[in-house]
Amino acid sequence: MSSTTQTDTSPTVRAVRGRLDNVTDPELDESIVELDYIDDITVSETTVDVTFSLPTAWCSPAFAWMMAADARDEVEALDTVKRARITLREHLHETEITDGINSRDTFGSVFPDADGGVESIRASLDDKARVGRQYDAMNELLDAGLSEVQITRLVRGDLSLDDDEAVVYVRDGAVAIPVDGEVLADYVEKAAVSGVFSSEDDLLFRTPEGEPIDPDRFDLVHKRTRLAKVNMSGQGNICDALNEARFDPDRPDSYAR
Amino acid sequence: MYQQNGEEIFVIDGHVHLWDAREENIKHQGGEEFIQCFYDYHTGFTPEERQWSLEEYRHYGAERMMTDFFENAAADMAIFQPTYLTDFYDEGFNTTDQNAELAEEYPERFVLNGSFDPRDGEEGMRELERKKEEYDIEGVKVYTAEWRGESKGWRLDSDESFEFLEKCVELGIDKIHAHKGPTIRPLNRDAFDVADVDDAASSFPELDFVVEHVGLPRLDDFCWIAAQEPNVYGGLAVAAPMAQNRPRKFGEIMGELLYWLGEDRIIFGSDYALWNPDWLVETVMNAELTDEQQDEYGVELTTDVMKKIMGENIAELYDIDIEAKKEQFRTDAVTEQFGLADHYGATDATAD
Repeated sequence: MSSTTQTDTSPTVRAVRGRLDNVTDPELDESIVELDYIDDITVSETTVDVTFSLPTAWCSPAFAWMMAADARDEVEALDTVKRARITLREHLHETEITDGINSRDTFGSVFPDADGGVESIRASLDDKARVGRQYDAMNELLDAGLSEVQITRLVRGDLSLDDDEAVVYVRDGAVAIPVDGEVLADYVEKAAVSGVFSSEDDLLFRTPEGEPIDPDRFDLVHKRTRLAKVNMSGQGNICDALNEARFDPDRPDSYAR
Repeated sequence: MYQQNGEEIFVIDGHVHLWDAREENIKHQGGEEFIQCFYDYHTGFTPEERQWSLEEYRHYGAERMMTDFFENAAADMAIFQPTYLTDFYDEGFNTTDQNAELAEEYPERFVLNGSFDPRDGEEGMRELERKKEEYDIEGVKVYTAEWRGESKGWRLDSDESFEFLEKCVELGIDKIHAHKGPTIRPLNRDAFDVADVDDAASSFPELDFVVEHVGLPRLDDFCWIAAQEPNVYGGLAVAAPMAQNRPRKFGEIMGELLYWLGEDRIIFGSDYALWNPDWLVETVMNAELTDEQQDEYGVELTTDVMKKIMGENIAELYDIDIEAKKEQFRTDAVTEQFGLADHYGATDATAD
């Protein structure tokens, strides 16, 4: 990874990477920095160039588009950045995606034959991530001693979030139980994006379909959320292995075409 | 035959190919990208000392395939699942007719499946009839994400697809293997959707649907559908090699599959030549769930469970009589060629 011509008003590579860490592979719900997709970050005054590549040339263009757009928006959220240029490498649609993102086109105008816009795909993947994160959040509450019935009845307002600590209130607010703030905050972040709750009175947890959880079916719903998590981490392992194989220095060349 | 704890395990590899990705057969950049992607899967999940070179991987031919399958008796039988990709490869990547080269020479060892694509219309119907007539196929492999001109895929629950499924019922082709695997394309939502299997499976209870690659990366949707549809099975191709370098993750996936589908609807497949059965069968047979996973899922990978997964379940689907096969294999051409008589002759088999 290279750097930079920096001035006092330029962002640091570290700051840029910090923003990129917020961008997730939508299918895996894991940071693109952690996944090692970022090849290069170059800072030149107030312009930042980010180059990234994916585990296969076949990764869904819709997923690649989402990551590129999110990377651009995250980097441009830094006060010191005027413009972020994103380049996707070694992908079947690298030119369309790179040009489209940097000229701020829409996915639909670049890929007119795609059914379903990128936003509906994003919504459906966000919802999967919400379900996977719910598994961790519920485990945290079960470990803290809440009953299954209590968990299904919690509303958003029963949870108070701080930096790394959180508190859930049960028995009509009479009892406060401290829990891991990060796990709960991660869940709340994704659940809010997925629209499963919009006010303090809305239920905190839902079935994968977004319905309230019948306490008699708690176990089934909990196992389904576990399954969503196993799915994402299982696919993550495949992507990791492909990523290593694809960028192995000993990998043989393609036929030049 | 594989031996474990003094027991014989009859292995039917449910997902194999005889493909051709040589330069002269590639007609579209997609064809080159496709084999490169396969090669990354190969090297990513094959022990280093067992990896092939890219050149032999592009085209290995019938002889190499026979050796890889039968030389050390890793597999007893195999089922060909074609992948046409005729937009990418001049003669197709791995067609029924190409696979027939071996299937017709060793009909006792190979099952040959056909394929259909509803976008082929009337001509596709005639082609399906031809395959039934010429090869007496009992199953088809369908690849819903295949490109065809402007189209980047199709759905198993579309009207056109239902016409083909009706045709399958009429012809007595009752196993539908659907590729629902990793996202290698297309642009549309189909790329991560197994929902089309749900409607097809409920509408055609007389057909069995094997979801290849257990739906990864949609294992969650697949298991939920399979839990409700008794005629839906999970094919382990692509999940199986995780037993090699991601054993804990493989344990979790097996735990989920056993929990949601049970031990009777999980089917082993190597996806040869992505991976070789001669090391993969042993690796999967030796896979274990951790104590924690056994508690979590309430299941175990016992020898009896593995016997079902490695052969008995698919034998049931394809009406293969394993005992009769063992008898037949004492003296067939493959046994003669590779000196396998001991594997099928001994009645007091012991672990090797």
